[in-house]
Amino acid sequence: MSQNSEEKRQVKTLERERLDLGRLVKVGEAGLRIVGDSVRRTDDVLKATGKLKYAADYPQEGFLHGKILRSPYPHALIRSIDVSKARELPGVVCALTGGDVPGRNGFGAILPDQPVICQDKVRYIGDGVALVAAESERIAQKALELIRVEYEELPAVFDPRDALAEGAPKIHETGNQISLDKLRKGDVEAGFAQADVILERTYQVPFLEHAYMEPDCCWAIPQPDGTMMVEGPMQAPFAVRRNVAPVLGVPINMVRARQIHMGGGFGGKEDSPIDLCCRAAVLAKHTGRPVRISLEREEVTLQTCKRHPMIMELKVGVTKDGKLTAFKSTVYDEQGAYASLGPKIPPAGGSHVHAMVMSPGPYEIENCWVDAYLCYTNHPYGGAMRGFGAPQVHIAHEQMMDELAAELGMDPVDIRRKNAFKLGSKTATSQVLDQSVGLRETLDACEERFGWSQRSDSAGWVDAAKTKRRGVGVAMGWYRTSIGTGGDACGANVHVHEDGSVILYSGITEMGQGAFTVLPQICAEALGVELEDVRLVKPDTDLVPESGPTVGSRSTTLMGNAIILACRQVRESLDQKAAEMLGVEPERLVFCGRKVFDRDNPDGKALEFRQVAAAAMASGMRLIGQGWWAPPKASLDPETGQGSPYFVYTYSTHMAEVEVDVQTGEVTVTDYVAAFDVGKAINPKALEGQIEGGVAMGLGYALMEKVVLENGMPQNMSLQNYLIPTMLDMPDLKPLVLEQTNQHGPYGAKGIGEMPNIPATPAVINAVANACGGRVRSLPANPEAVFWAIRELGGPPQD
Amino acid sequence: MKIPIEFVVNGEPQALFVKPNHTLLDVLRDDLGLLGAKKGCGEGKCGTCTVIMDGKPVNSCLILAPRADGSDIITVEGLADGEPHPMQKAFVEQGAVQCGFCTPGMIMTACALLDEKSDPSEEEIRLALSGNLCRCTGYAKIVEAVQVCAQRIQQDKGA
Repeated sequence: MSQNSEEKRQVKTLERERLDLGRLVKVGEAGLRIVGDSVRRTDDVLKATGKLKYAADYPQEGFLHGKILRSPYPHALIRSIDVSKARELPGVVCALTGGDVPGRNGFGAILPDQPVICQDKVRYIGDGVALVAAESERIAQKALELIRVEYEELPAVFDPRDALAEGAPKIHETGNQISLDKLRKGDVEAGFAQADVILERTYQVPFLEHAYMEPDCCWAIPQPDGTMMVEGPMQAPFAVRRNVAPVLGVPINMVRARQIHMGGGFGGKEDSPIDLCCRAAVLAKHTGRPVRISLEREEVTLQTCKRHPMIMELKVGVTKDGKLTAFKSTVYDEQGAYASLGPKIPPAGGSHVHAMVMSPGPYEIENCWVDAYLCYTNHPYGGAMRGFGAPQVHIAHEQMMDELAAELGMDPVDIRRKNAFKLGSKTATSQVLDQSVGLRETLDACEERFGWSQRSDSAGWVDAAKTKRRGVGVAMGWYRTSIGTGGDACGANVHVHEDGSVILYSGITEMGQGAFTVLPQICAEALGVELEDVRLVKPDTDLVPESGPTVGSRSTTLMGNAIILACRQVRESLDQKAAEMLGVEPERLVFCGRKVFDRDNPDGKALEFRQVAAAAMASGMRLIGQGWWAPPKASLDPETGQGSPYFVYTYSTHMAEVEVDVQTGEVTVTDYVAAFDVGKAINPKALEGQIEGGVAMGLGYALMEKVVLENGMPQNMSLQNYLIPTMLDMPDLKPLVLEQTNQHGPYGAKGIGEMPNIPATPAVINAVANACGGRVRSLPANPEAVFWAIRELGGPPQD
Repeated sequence: MKIPIEFVVNGEPQALFVKPNHTLLDVLRDDLGLLGAKKGCGEGKCGTCTVIMDGKPVNSCLILAPRADGSDIITVEGLADGEPHPMQKAFVEQGAVQCGFCTPGMIMTACALLDEKSDPSEEEIRLALSGNLCRCTGYAKIVEAVQVCAQRIQQDKGA
């Protein structure tokens, strides 16, 4: 076997001694037993044996099948719709148009601007104009063909800059510009005056598809009491419920949303289940029967959200010794047809504001100026996708750092070290980073492990025949934990039973990231029981407290804290009872490994956890705990973009080595090191899995992925022509995990779900430029783009 | 119109009438209730529907049901013999499973590889499994799982 896990992967704690500063965490004298251990995931055996049920595996007897008639035009008025022929087809139970929606004819993760069924106009190819429910999918499909729609085509807009132009066709009544968000720090012109070198560059990134392996499938089942139950693979059951209720015209308590295990989400299943559940619920309401809507792979591409494309115009100034003096950027963030997760939820929620906040990078810069436009076009719409606006802006600033370094004749690592955040740094929003800032440490660790200086010296031709050149690239990054909405709370319930077993109620969903393992780990640790004592109740809005969405790298940190608070409530009863039973002060008690004992006399009498639980229950003491946790207050001035939008950040440095075939433009990533400051690794193996998967996604973004659109129509709707990395595309990846404790996190943890794919893309692009001289500023750097980038230079370097 | 076929699935002989436009995947999932093989794309690109047909891994979404007549099929449900198959164990132990949607197909391809070559190199593993897409793991732990399983089978043979 090649170099394997233990030797390849390293976890290094930087500041464990600061754990006791934690607002929530008191480290037990016995230390941590379950947190920090790579315990096996709770559902892996079911998955490996094929027994775990995904949505498509649930029985369909008695279900009607829902289908959506989609607009063939990117922008058109609906003159008339005739569904009468469809209704006459045997097996069709209903065919609905816009007027048939019982409540609000609109849904959306932030603004309800997307019609459940379009009534007067369509705004992208894929917009739903009629819904059909039939006894089989085949009949439903046939019924769609019998619906007659008369459209009047309108001029369409496909570029955000065109959408902002005067006289541009208006996509929504509110206008094409959703927002212009501004960030102003210092005096950017004064900053440019101090600079020795000023570069201006434009970087561009396309729409990306999430390409989760499991196509979407949701259903609605009317209940006898009038409740509507909606189920499906979903990242945000509470957001689904919040949309389905008004669409049906009923209060929130008449909708029940339950998560079915997800076959991947990556942000996409925050949004698409809202769409499918609203539509299925409307059909179920009309027919009084369960209705299932299942999308084919091509329909997923056509209908659901994507990663936002952006055009980013940067102007950055630097002194000759590499100190950044001014950062200016105009960002055109293309929302597409509907608002989805783009717009702002004050003070700093929504992908657009997040992108603006992150856009100058993890660097100390006195003078920053950003104008970030978010606007509608007639393309499919941008939603949440791993990184939520951050990968795009990192692709710009991390390439710019390399371009500046080249201009100065500096090493790309040195220019980053010169400017990188450290403890006490002020961000572009003037937030003072007062804790858990391990960015420079990730750079040091990466540099050493990768062997940067030797590697960068040996860049150049690989072969004597001069067909391939080798190069190295570095990129840094930061990513928030939480979503910056000001109301980002997470709730958990913990029930302890008289036999010592525990039920944990959490609304955080599982999409493969490991939440159903990591959250019980935290619960078991906080109570002092074993992992197998904790059973997790799956997300069900009727059973679990509001937990918010499973997004924003927030689950482990926010839900972890809520769980600890819930456990602490139960512990109050248990502490009191155990203190009585042992005859010691409650402060001296240690709960660990199902035992309760006196910390000053660890070898003395120990109680069983279950004994204490049973005695507390018999005394009528509370054994149900409820924890709610919200991050420290978020702030962001709407005029200047100044404030503290997110309470803590994860930091990372990546280094990549590539080989570029200068004749074909083909790029092979040959080696890779990625270092992270994660606060605390609750489950190191699951964490590594996040790193490895995130890097793969970032590599796809760099080299191959793009939803190709022509007149608003996706040209590569299947996995046949929307390419994602295969096993052959992935290098030997060495993850490095550093732990610089987050004082607000459970056991010191910060978020990790999204960080890994963010620096991966620019690290690879920078390595390509280092190898062949050609820089691809409009992604992806596929062979054609690299080929032309080399040709633009008049050929590859000859040294 | 339905066509009669006879084939063996996970060691059990089956005689069915199948629709000519149905695929082997449809038959396994809808007629036999074997839900381990998944439909991720329906056009043989993602590999989530992989089963072993006469010793070779195939995309069952690309095999028309009548073509399965006379064949011997193994699905993920047919691997475990009381306890999970060594490949399934290795996937679990190495942390090679995330969302799990690709896992059954990935495991079937890996088993077919080891049946053909008990000690594959890393390159051979990557090549053999390159038709199975995974969006979650970056493949690192999947490669390790196959290596660990191969080693174990070798050791068991030696012992």
